Amino acid sequence: MDSDEEDYVFFGTPIEREEEITSRRKKAAAEASGNLRSLPPWKQEVRDEEGRRRFHGAFTGGFSAGYFNTVGTKEGWAPQSFTSSRKSRAEVKQQSIFNFLDEDEKAELEGTLGTSSQFDTFGFTAAEFARKQADKEQKQRPSAIPGPVPDELVLPASESIGVKLLLKMGWRHGRAIKDSRARSLYDARREARKAFLAFASEDVKAPYPANEPDEEPESFMAQPVDNDTRSSKSLPAFVCNPKQDLHGLGYDPFKHAPEFREKKRLHLSNDKQHGYRKAISIKDSLFGSKSGKAAPGFGIGALEEYDAEDEDIYGAGYDFEETCVEEDEEPSILSIESKQPSRLSIESKQKVVAKDQGVLPGFKVASVSDYQLERFDPPIIPKDFVPHHKFPGPLETLRKLDVPSPPEVPPPDDSNLKLLIEGVAKLVTRCGKLFEDLSRKKNQSNPLFSFLSGGDGHDYYERRLWEEHQKLGDQAKLSLDGKHSPSARKMTAEGRGKLLGEKPLDRSTKETTSSSIASREFQLQFNLSDTFKKPDSFSKLPEVAKPFKDDPAKQERFEQFLKEKYEGGLRSTGYSSASNMSEAARAREKLDFEAAAEVLEKGKWGKESMVSTQPLDFLAAGMQFTSGGLEQVKDTHAEDLVTKEKYPRREEFQWRPLPVLCKRFDLIDPFMGKPPPAPRARSKIDSLLFIPDSVKGAKPEEDAITNRDVPAAQTGAQKTIEGAAEEEIDIVAENVERPVDLYKAIFSDDSDEDEEDTITKKVEDPEKKIEVATTTLNRLIAGDFLESLGKELGFEVPPDTPYSTNKASSSAQIETPNSDAVIAKVGTVEGHRTFCAANVGTGTSLNPEQESTQGGESPKNESIPGKSVRYSSKHTDGLSENISGTVNADKFPPEDKKVRSPSSCQRNWSSSSSSEYERSRKHSRRHRYRSSDSYSDSSSDDRDRYHSRSKGKRKRSSREKSSSSRKHSKHHKHRSRDSPSRSHHGSEREHSESRKEKRKRRN
Amino acid sequence: MVMEFVEREKEERKMSTSELPRKEANVLKGHEGAVLAARFNSDGNYCLSCGKDRTIRLWNPHRGIHIKTYKSHGREVRDVHVTLDNSKLCSCGGDRQIFYWDVSTGRVIRKFRGHDGEVNAVKFNEYASVVVSAGYDRSLRAWDCRSHSTEPIQIIDSFLDTVMSVCLTKTEIIGGSVDGTVRTFDIRIGREISDDLGQPVNCISLSNDNNCILANCLDSTLRLLDRSTGELLQEYKGHACKSYKMDCCLTNSDAHVTGGSEDGSIFFWDLVDASVVSKFRAHSSVVTSVSYHPKDNCMITSSVDGTVRVWKT
Repeated sequence: MDSDEEDYVFFGTPIEREEEITSRRKKAAAEASGNLRSLPPWKQEVRDEEGRRRFHGAFTGGFSAGYFNTVGTKEGWAPQSFTSSRKSRAEVKQQSIFNFLDEDEKAELEGTLGTSSQFDTFGFTAAEFARKQADKEQKQRPSAIPGPVPDELVLPASESIGVKLLLKMGWRHGRAIKDSRARSLYDARREARKAFLAFASEDVKAPYPANEPDEEPESFMAQPVDNDTRSSKSLPAFVCNPKQDLHGLGYDPFKHAPEFREKKRLHLSNDKQHGYRKAISIKDSLFGSKSGKAAPGFGIGALEEYDAEDEDIYGAGYDFEETCVEEDEEPSILSIESKQPSRLSIESKQKVVAKDQGVLPGFKVASVSDYQLERFDPPIIPKDFVPHHKFPGPLETLRKLDVPSPPEVPPPDDSNLKLLIEGVAKLVTRCGKLFEDLSRKKNQSNPLFSFLSGGDGHDYYERRLWEEHQKLGDQAKLSLDGKHSPSARKMTAEGRGKLLGEKPLDRSTKETTSSSIASREFQLQFNLSDTFKKPDSFSKLPEVAKPFKDDPAKQERFEQFLKEKYEGGLRSTGYSSASNMSEAARAREKLDFEAAAEVLEKGKWGKESMVSTQPLDFLAAGMQFTSGGLEQVKDTHAEDLVTKEKYPRREEFQWRPLPVLCKRFDLIDPFMGKPPPAPRARSKIDSLLFIPDSVKGAKPEEDAITNRDVPAAQTGAQKTIEGAAEEEIDIVAENVERPVDLYKAIFSDDSDEDEEDTITKKVEDPEKKIEVATTTLNRLIAGDFLESLGKELGFEVPPDTPYSTNKASSSAQIETPNSDAVIAKVGTVEGHRTFCAANVGTGTSLNPEQESTQGGESPKNESIPGKSVRYSSKHTDGLSENISGTVNADKFPPEDKKVRSPSSCQRNWSSSSSSEYERSRKHSRRHRYRSSDSYSDSSSDDRDRYHSRSKGKRKRSSREKSSSSRKHSKHHKHRSRDSPSRSHHGSEREHSESRKEKRKRRN
Repeated sequence: MVMEFVEREKEERKMSTSELPRKEANVLKGHEGAVLAARFNSDGNYCLSCGKDRTIRLWNPHRGIHIKTYKSHGREVRDVHVTLDNSKLCSCGGDRQIFYWDVSTGRVIRKFRGHDGEVNAVKFNEYASVVVSAGYDRSLRAWDCRSHSTEPIQIIDSFLDTVMSVCLTKTEIIGGSVDGTVRTFDIRIGREISDDLGQPVNCISLSNDNNCILANCLDSTLRLLDRSTGELLQEYKGHACKSYKMDCCLTNSDAHVTGGSEDGSIFFWDLVDASVVSKFRAHSSVVTSVSYHPKDNCMITSSVDGTVRVWKT
């Protein structure tokens, strides 16, 4: 029922019946959960649990309250009748807050403001309260004296002995004791002592109120809040108090003396046993009830002492002390009741507790413990240990001081060299021999540093080194004398700053030796950097021109490259690790370098006569073959170089205006009757995956097509994948080697198949005709696409203009990454797209007819005024966009090519990843269908969509078909001859792989 | 084509230099806050301005009269365009909507919602049947004024960044985007031609012969592109344009390029040799928009200082 209600839509307002209220409630709940969620916030309504609308808009009543969402009274707001105060000025009402409050508010307010007898724990109200209670009880109870007992006669003891005591001590009702206690503590005690003595004598005679508690325990219960009344704690009512301690809520008597807590707990458990005895024994009660005050009262002298030490005479601490005494069962102490022994006992007890600390009550510390903390003696410091860390550097220098000084040598003429030598010497002195070795190793090839290894200026270097050592040694000595450890001095803040190249703060001229050293270091650094930065110093290779002048880093790499190249051997030692460039960028750069090196070799590099754009050109030309399969990450360096040239750069895409737009612009839809456009780059994957399901209605023969048709695709795919996996250079080589007539491979593909099918089906199935027509159309498009692709890849495509123009090349270059991806994808996808792959990868014979078709088409494309050849490629943009970038050729392991034998045309790239292969085999049946799907997806999607769109234009297309089908019949035959020899397994795998790939991509 | 055009320009150059509108004829005050755009209508007798005060104002710039105020926008109005027959307006702005107005009544006929962000520019096509808007959501959207549908009839979302400006020819939609491209969408042949300038494009305007596009790039450079080839014909520098959307345009004779600067001055460049022909301080603040009279030597400029100024020779 409930769920039903949720599902139904209710119109109108249901008539409410009593029993329906519950259902309404349910509905409200349902609405709240389901309906409201879907509604926009402003349409949601707040309802109470009864399902009534309680909150209205601000202008329609606000919260519904009172009468009909108005006010609290039936009459509504009745403005206070206006009375002129002119005549009766004196009667002006004094308004109070109560004039403006509702009843409940008033009640509330009164409640908060009023006093409650409940909390009047002592004082007269309490007394009154007690009396009333007593009266009540009296009335309820049958009493010996009939009639009301006169109040004067039976007076319930409303006051405890403590209160009485307190009163006698000068305490008054309503006065807090605690507050005044600290201040008047001393006086109060003195008073108490006197009072007690007087009182005690009285009490002995008088019937003690110890038997009163049974009469009015409640009043006692109500009273005990004050600390001072706690003297009544020995009363049984209190002992039974489940609160178990006798303090106010939250009061912690052990707050400042936590060491007693444990004891207290122990005592409490014992208390249960002793309590009874205590309660009944008069003596106990006498002492007990008064013990708080009585005990100290026994010896004033002792009390004096006690007072000074412990303020909390009324507190539980003392009580606890007493029970301790009891516990110990030392009658002597009890009887003597002298302060000292009891305290002693406390102390001893404390000791015991301290011993047992950390032991749970009821447990004992094990005498034999398995676990023993192993302790080790601290290491013995050798006697000769000096707590100063000595760095090897200074030590070394000290040692070296003994070294006989090398002969004085005049500095080299080259001031740079001199500076450098001096700098290095200084550094070496400071950092030790290690630095020298390091720098020697590092700068082995650098002629400037030849002095390190005995070259030019070595003598001077030696001398400098010695001098520096000398100097440093002196300083070290000095500092040692001055009780400065050298290490500490070495790493002053300034020193570190210097090392890090920071600017030293300006200091007063008076500086310590350390800072002066630091400043000298700085100087040194400065000099050093100066030396190193001198670009002239590197101009040792004047014969090497610098093709990458703008980018010193790159130039450096280039030189490195050259060096490696001419030196031979395994390259890429230093080169590969040289930078953090991406793999793609590096590869590209390498190509650049190679090209540049070649040019250099040829001697084409003149002096500066070379226009700087030239390298760009050849770079551009070189690059377009190479960047395939790599990420589209642009080499920043190349980018920088080319930037100026590139902009503005023009690209063209297919764009499909919607028919309405064309209509509104009063233009003819250029795509009229054409299949709907495939979305552009952004959604290319989706377009592949979300191809209309009409495809699924795919005729059974298409499945057959798939199977036969794939091998071609497969080979293409293999090729391309292989190609992509290989290094760019290889690709270049391969591509270049590949004869142009690869092209034809394309056309031997599924057209034949279709052809065959259509021929057979032609007569009976008119729809097939259309299909054929569309296939033709696709063919044409594919032709264009191929053409453009070929161009992009730098092939000479027969019907084309040579692509040598600058623009074409540059655009091709831009496109390459895409197109390579296209190839890869084409490989994995199928159908006519494989043409392109085949174009690249396989070397089947050219089909002249197909070419003629295409040739016939391409001029038409080029006839578009002002549009470059690229138009033709863009014609198939939908396809290429779909394809591009979906497969990253990098994914395929490079081993693939090793595994495959080059001669086999059945190479299956998926075989390399055997697991996938296995899987695909297992599910081969499923994949088969899927693959057929995917086939129809891509190869016939256009067709199908076209087909669906063009039902109305059947006449036109049938005409087209008749012409085209004739043409294609031949290809079909050709194709069918080829296909049987090819395996179907591979195709299935192929497809499943491509599927997987796609899915992966999608994820 | 371009060459003859250039030749013609050369002839006219000397003559026209003296005819640049450099004298302030009128100051149109009324906007509170920055004026974001000022546009002549098709015959140049009226002009429209819109601004941060969420209003669109119709002026007679020649007489300096404020004619009408169109209020309905919820946020700043960034662009406004009027049909050839002066009957309808379209405007767009920060409220993500395109408003289609009736000029005479001042009522909003339709509101087109759909942009996911602010709408930077809006234009009617020739027949006033379509409004094309350029939005922060990286798309160009075409809206049908004829039907009652408020859905876009075309969404062009190939831009990679905010589309700042849009121009329409009879057959093309041209958009300039911050991604540095000027993309021409040719409806007739179904092509998108993307000219990457490498710098964020702030504003594009067509030359009067529709052969060139002037693009105002955020590197303080105006770039003149040949539309047929995509060549960069000329670069115009000297002004400051780094962070504001600032319009630029060619004079009605296509002899000069004009544009504002962030310091409030107006620049005139020679179209061919890119020299600054004239430069004067027109506003106290950023010049957001310039519009040149279709026939006369008259120009209106708008600025963040809240004024629209009319310049004449």
